[in-house]
Amino acid sequence: MNRNKLYSILLIACLAGYTWLYYSIITQKSEVKSAEVCLIKHFTGVPCPSCGSTRSVVSLTQFDFEEAFLFNPLGYLVAMIMLLSPLWIIIDVIMKKNSLYIFYQKVENTLRKPNNVILFIVLILINWIWNIKKGL
Amino acid sequence: MEAQKVDMFIMSNGKYFESHQINAIREGLLALDDSKWAMLSTIQFKDPSTILIISILAGSVGIDRFMIGDTGLGVGKLITCGGMGIWAIVDWFIIQKATREKNMEKIQRFLYY
Repeated sequence: MNRNKLYSILLIACLAGYTWLYYSIITQKSEVKSAEVCLIKHFTGVPCPSCGSTRSVVSLTQFDFEEAFLFNPLGYLVAMIMLLSPLWIIIDVIMKKNSLYIFYQKVENTLRKPNNVILFIVLILINWIWNIKKGL
Repeated sequence: MEAQKVDMFIMSNGKYFESHQINAIREGLLALDDSKWAMLSTIQFKDPSTILIISILAGSVGIDRFMIGDTGLGVGKLITCGGMGIWAIVDWFIIQKATREKNMEKIQRFLYY
């Protein structure tokens, strides 16, 4: 994976994310039940580890931080990536640097260390169990 | 390296690479020193078919991306429900190519460094 590929993937993901967020806010206002897109939930009926992050981000746009946390703490991470990465990419492209790419590789290398992997998996599993208990 | 050894390697590991890359690998290996044969035969490659099965079964949580070493994209897939299901389905079709490219990166690191 090189720099330009990573940046285009991130930009496309953010664009899709913002479109989806806009659609979710519209449907939430008109109180039509918003479409559920999660494959796991469709097939098994059990919520996946990241189910509820859309609702969480929607709550964050209304500055309801507590509700956002109760829906899914991963929403904070998603919102942060959606806010920061387009800005960072634009700055990088203008300044002709690759600081985001270097940062991405650093994060990848940190995540690959065995201790961090275990911590990450345990956190995701706890979140998953919590999701199933909440019945999102 | 002897042509016989190289051909043996290509025969047993050809399925891990794109067909158009095999010629380059063959030439690279032929130019390589014979003492590296032992190291070469210990490299482990990821099997594209296994990864495809993983992708179909657990693609929505990004396990396939984690397995081939794309940790960053794996996390991305995990926290977005497999890219709202779309990315998970797209990956069913491109994960084999991605796996072969990762294998190529692996052998290139061996060939040129």
